[in-house]
Amino acid sequence: MRIFIIHTLRFVLFLFAQALLFNQLEIGFGIQAMIYPLFILLLPYNINIFLSMLIAFALGFGIDSISNTYGLHASAAVLLAYLRPIIFKTFEPRDGYEDTQEMNFYEMPTSWLLSVFGLMLLIHHFWFFTLELFKLNEIGFILQKTILSVPVSLIVCILIQIVFIRKPSNK
Amino acid sequence: MRNLIAFFKRFRVFLVFAVLQGLALSTYFTYLNFPRAQYLTSASIVNGQILTIKNDVTKHFNLSYNNYKLQKENIALRKRLPQSFIPIQSNIFKIDDTLYHQQYEYIAATVINSTFDKRNNYFTLNIGSSQGIKRKMGVFSDKGIVGIVHNVSDHFCVVKSVLTEAINIDVMIESTGAFGLLKWDGGNPKIGSISGISNDMKMKRWSKIVTRGGSGIFPRGLTVGIVSSFKPVEAKPLWDISFYYSEDYRKIQRVYVIKNLLKYEQKELEAQIPPDTEE
Repeated sequence: MRIFIIHTLRFVLFLFAQALLFNQLEIGFGIQAMIYPLFILLLPYNINIFLSMLIAFALGFGIDSISNTYGLHASAAVLLAYLRPIIFKTFEPRDGYEDTQEMNFYEMPTSWLLSVFGLMLLIHHFWFFTLELFKLNEIGFILQKTILSVPVSLIVCILIQIVFIRKPSNK
Repeated sequence: MRNLIAFFKRFRVFLVFAVLQGLALSTYFTYLNFPRAQYLTSASIVNGQILTIKNDVTKHFNLSYNNYKLQKENIALRKRLPQSFIPIQSNIFKIDDTLYHQQYEYIAATVINSTFDKRNNYFTLNIGSSQGIKRKMGVFSDKGIVGIVHNVSDHFCVVKSVLTEAINIDVMIESTGAFGLLKWDGGNPKIGSISGISNDMKMKRWSKIVTRGGSGIFPRGLTVGIVSSFKPVEAKPLWDISFYYSEDYRKIQRVYVIKNLLKYEQKELEAQIPPDTEE
């Protein structure tokens, strides 16, 4: 029950933070910081994949409807939720995920977080910008946007975890 | 039959993924061209209210700049009031003149949400169909054109701005009268491009670009920008023209929506042109 309330609250916060704050930040060079992939990463490890895809779809559509992107964020978020278990399996540590409750900054080693979350962001951003531009002759601009945006999103997401997630006391 | 069920069981995750993906993408590609309902866009009541609250906070950021702009425009308009003129020959100057028939009306509006770094940028305004806004009305600010109304609800509307790919407003070079279509290639919000001007026309840098007013959306002669560079398109007898927008879309707040009172008359007349029969 506690987990349910936490994730509902996070859903609302991530939706409004992305739509009203981060989509309005216009840094230049095609950089767009996206933080809602972090919400999908932080869902419980053993969540049903149908449920996680539906949650991702709802989150994406909520952001879309406020920022007039008509389904772009929804598509990218569903892709991310679909690939999440596959990526987790590929990067499984030697002793598995047995005693981890959440894939956050404090519970997982930093190298794991950087590689897994970096890869997730790369896939998500590339998919998003490809659909947004959707032209073969703009591939250079797509790559520029992806490569410049991924580090920005990664740094912002790690800062969010450091600031807002409480450090477990036993570590 | 059993094989089929086994197949669905094996691939059920991927099937749900494909259905959701199809739903999202079909919405994206249909809404991009023609919005059918407004509840999925920022013109809906709920999203409009959220964005109004956001605008209540952010509208103060450029307040002094916007006031200054409005003041300058007021001065320009005040100069044209009858009180500002000295009648040199009395009884020549008349305000109620039957020679002039009002063609365009303007409705003031505030931009409550806007972007400029996406591939297609839309602006949300705080007025809607209850204020008389309809689809395909033109929008401009005191410095230049802004876009065309794309989608309308009761109290809000979404404007497809000149920072979108297929905006296709007809514009012309003011000095020569050469006309083409306005496009935006997606990079810089300060620079737009014009296609369709034949390269045997003479071009000059810094010449002024204005609207042509052919489609009845914009009146003739609204400022668009100034030519910054031009070069011939490869293998085509056309110029590739880039220009600086005269309006800075990164801090736009006050705009006007154009209502063309004679648009129906023009469309009706143009519909009588017979289609080309010879191919």
